[in-house]
Amino acid sequence: MHDPCNYGRKSFKTFGDGYFEEPRWITQQCCENYVEMYPTKMNNFCCGAGGGAWAMPYEQERIVYGREKARQIKDTGAKMVVAPCHNCRDQIMKSLNKEYDLGIEVKYLWELVSDSLIVEPWNEEEIKKANELRDAQYERDDVDLDKEW
Amino acid sequence: MEALVIDRKQSKLRVAPEWADVCFTCGTCAGGCPITGVDGLDPRKAVRMAALGLDQELVDSRFPWICTLCGRCEYACPQGVEILKMLRKARSLRERDKVPGPIHKGVVMDLERGNNLGIPKEDFLFLLADVAKEMDEDEGFPGFYVPVDKKGANILVTINSKEPFGEPDDMKFWWRIFYAAKEDWTVPSENWEGVNWGLFSGDDESMKTLVGRIVEHLERLECKTLLLPE
Repeated sequence: MHDPCNYGRKSFKTFGDGYFEEPRWITQQCCENYVEMYPTKMNNFCCGAGGGAWAMPYEQERIVYGREKARQIKDTGAKMVVAPCHNCRDQIMKSLNKEYDLGIEVKYLWELVSDSLIVEPWNEEEIKKANELRDAQYERDDVDLDKEW
Repeated sequence: MEALVIDRKQSKLRVAPEWADVCFTCGTCAGGCPITGVDGLDPRKAVRMAALGLDQELVDSRFPWICTLCGRCEYACPQGVEILKMLRKARSLRERDKVPGPIHKGVVMDLERGNNLGIPKEDFLFLLADVAKEMDEDEGFPGFYVPVDKKGANILVTINSKEPFGEPDDMKFWWRIFYAAKEDWTVPSENWEGVNWGLFSGDDESMKTLVGRIVEHLERLECKTLLLPE
C-alpha cells in the first residue's frame, strides 16, 4: 500500500484526518498476504510525481525523486502495489516500474476492489427499469450510438 | 552590491525575517527530501533564501516545481516552519505564462471548456454510452448505463479527464463497483472534471471557481456524496 501524500499526510494537516486505515482495511479484504512499506503513513515517501510533476517537463528529476519510493517497494518483496491515486499509480506503473526494474503489478485501490468482485447480474425487472431510464436519458441528451462519425 | 531590506511586508513569500531564527537549520527537512541536492538546493536552503530576502531568486528557480509539494519536510520540522506553504506560495508568484508544462494551460482549458483536456460535451456523452454498452452487452453487467445529470442521486461522480481521453476502460473499475452495489450515482454532463490543477499551479482564484462548480452540481442535482477521481 502506497500512501498518497494528498490523502494521507496533507489531508491530515488540512482536515485533521488522514486516510491511512481505510485503504489498508480494503486491501486486506482483497489480498491474503499484506506487507507494509517502511517508512509509512505520515512518514511515507512521495512517489515522485506529486504536485503536478507527472505532467511537468522535469522527467529526469521526477525519476530521481522516485528512487526512494522504488526502494521502498522493492524492499517489501510484494508482487503487487496498491496506489490509491491516479498520479501515484501512473508514476509507479509507467515510470518507476521500468526505470528501477521493479517487475511489480500496480493497481488503483478501486481497481483491486473491482477485480475482486463476483458480480451477480441484476434481475429482469431491474434491467428493464434501467433500460427505460437509459433510453429516456439518451433521448434527452441526443445520444445515438448508431450515429456515423 | 545593494543592501537588501528584509521585512514581513516586503516579503513576496510572506515570510517573516524571524524565520531566520525559528529555523534551526538542522536539516531534518532536507535529510528526508528525495529532491535534496538537485540544482544545489533543498528545503532548508529554500527557507534560508526566503528568510534572508532572496524571494525572487526562489520564485525564479526550478526548486518549487521539482519539489512535489509532498509535505514531508513540513511534517518533520521540529520548529513548525511552514515549508510546504512557502513553496506553494512561490509557485503562485510565478508569472502564469512561465508555469512549467501543461498545468496552467489545463486550468485555462478547464475554466473555458469544463475539463483539463477540452473534451467536448457531445464526445463525452457518446463515450460514456459507448463504454457502458460494452459492459451491458458483453461483460456480464446487463442493464448497466451511466446516469447523467440524475437529480437526487446519492453520489456525484467526477472524472479525471485522462480517462475519457486516453484510458476509457479504466472508468469501468468504479462502474463495476456501482453496479454490484446497486448504487444510485450520477455524472454531470458538463464541468465534470475532478482534477483541479490550480492546486499545483498555485492559482487559488481558479481553484476556487472550479471547486465552486462541483458545489453547484451537488446543490443542483441534490446529491449527498461527492466522489473525486481517487
